[in-house]
Amino acid sequence: MIRQPISTRLTVLLGIISVVALLAGYTLLSSMQHLDNPDDTTIPTWSQLGEGLQRLIEANPRTGERWLLLDAEATATRLFLGLFCGILGAIILGLLMGCYAPIEALLVPPMSLLAKIPPTAALAVFFVLVGTDTEMYVAMIAFGVLPTLAQSVYLAVHDVPREMLYKAYTLGASQMELIWNIIVRAVFPRLIDAVRLQIGPAMVYLIAAEMILGDVGFGYRIRLQMRLLNMNVVYPYLTFLAVFGFTMDYCLRLLQRVTCPWFVRHGR
Amino acid sequence: MEHPLVLEIQKLSHWFGDNLVLHNLDLNIIRGEIVSLVGPSGCGKSTLLRAIVGTHPPCRGQVAVYALGATTPTVVVNPSRDRGIVYQQYSLFPFLTAAQNVAMGLMLDQTSLPFRFFRHMSWRNLRRRHLEEAEALLEKLKLANAIRLYPHEMSGGMCQRVAIAQALIMKPEILLLDEPFGALDEATREELQRMLLTLYQENIDARAKGEDSPYTIMIVTHELNEAIYVGDRVVALSQFWNWQEQGHLRCPGATIVLDQPVPVYHPDEERNFETFIQVRRRIRQAAFESSVLQDPREYKTFAADLASGRGEGVLR
Repeated sequence: MIRQPISTRLTVLLGIISVVALLAGYTLLSSMQHLDNPDDTTIPTWSQLGEGLQRLIEANPRTGERWLLLDAEATATRLFLGLFCGILGAIILGLLMGCYAPIEALLVPPMSLLAKIPPTAALAVFFVLVGTDTEMYVAMIAFGVLPTLAQSVYLAVHDVPREMLYKAYTLGASQMELIWNIIVRAVFPRLIDAVRLQIGPAMVYLIAAEMILGDVGFGYRIRLQMRLLNMNVVYPYLTFLAVFGFTMDYCLRLLQRVTCPWFVRHGR
Repeated sequence: MEHPLVLEIQKLSHWFGDNLVLHNLDLNIIRGEIVSLVGPSGCGKSTLLRAIVGTHPPCRGQVAVYALGATTPTVVVNPSRDRGIVYQQYSLFPFLTAAQNVAMGLMLDQTSLPFRFFRHMSWRNLRRRHLEEAEALLEKLKLANAIRLYPHEMSGGMCQRVAIAQALIMKPEILLLDEPFGALDEATREELQRMLLTLYQENIDARAKGEDSPYTIMIVTHELNEAIYVGDRVVALSQFWNWQEQGHLRCPGATIVLDQPVPVYHPDEERNFETFIQVRRRIRQAAFESSVLQDPREYKTFAADLASGRGEGVLR
């Protein structure tokens, strides 16, 4: 039956099976490739991947740099700063658009337009406006996530029933209290969901920009190693990106569960 | 005996563009009453309620509220804490437990945002007192086991009871109930109707001691039996009245077509369905008969009835 729930045990089991199937599929593909060409580096074996991973972690004998640390620091700084600015701006603008009709009329049309521009396509604009340092990546990510996120917050605010607001007024709420104590609390879980959905695009924007303009960072390293066909370095980087994204998503879900038990338990 | 007013509606009319909704309403509500407002669908009951709450002020005329002991009323211009409201839906904040929902009004009324941010310790102590007060009220309304439940964990009846507690803790001059029991099953409905009668009994007891009745309630309902059972007075609003004879070319909107006291019930008393039938017939004739348009004055006998001592409960 559609949406028939299954037991937790079965859910965990199916999750494990899917990961094992993925790893088994890769192993099979890699061994088949190496039967044809034992020197192949496009689909590295597990031992080749181990060697690649070692290169990332250990200090480079020539420069003394540890690629993984260097790239992780640069990418994470850019991503977190960009997300922070984008999310903060989106919350403020989304709340204002949702609460006040004049601001709604003023900002909804440009937000709808800006949301349609891929930030990577506007990279040249950021390059001209803020240079090629961290600021450029931060501006690009913020610009990428802000319009969509602001629209999500705005729609969530619009969905707060009017009766709830009227009731708050009859309980003596001021304008600010209505926004802070009622609206923000009511839309908070949906805001977290919207942020979760923006992490993927933010990483896409950043990696693409690092591939084009970076001299450090995950995107830069992937592009460099890809050209040399060192896929045993590229794949671990992709895995780190996936784990990083998954961890961010998990932390946000945890935050939602802890701060909004009423929402998580309700119909989830 | 003197009957202090709580609500005074004068010459109230409301329209939305060409759609004339309410016409020239006059209504006074006495402290301690439970007034049932009935009428056909689309007659403007909710519009009248919104005008009283203050979210949609009338196009013409005014609504005014008397604070306890005041001789001059305050004209309603926006929603305020002197008028509590309970809706059929969205009656509670979903992100708060029952106790927190009830304590919300105390928090908003007695503290400000800067106080809660910058004087955290004082706020924590006050918060504890608010929650204790809320829990005591919930216990009084037989909701001791729901104190820490979120709205989605409670039944519809429990939610409405919490919503009533949330409004009552503010001690509003008048509590407005907008079809509060419409979505509930029959048994829960009866239980909540008896709860209202218990509150009304407190009004009667207070009045007997010479004190002010604590609860004045206006309930909007589709159910005529409910209106007669819980109210000490029924007010019917209808667009079916003899507006042509009053010189109007088209219906100028609904007006009050019936305003009469009805028998008062004790919470444990069985309903007398014979009386119900008589009152229901009068309400139907006055408000629901679209073929025979009545003169609205014919069934608006409340003032005369009160003067001749026909009212019961707090109207006596």
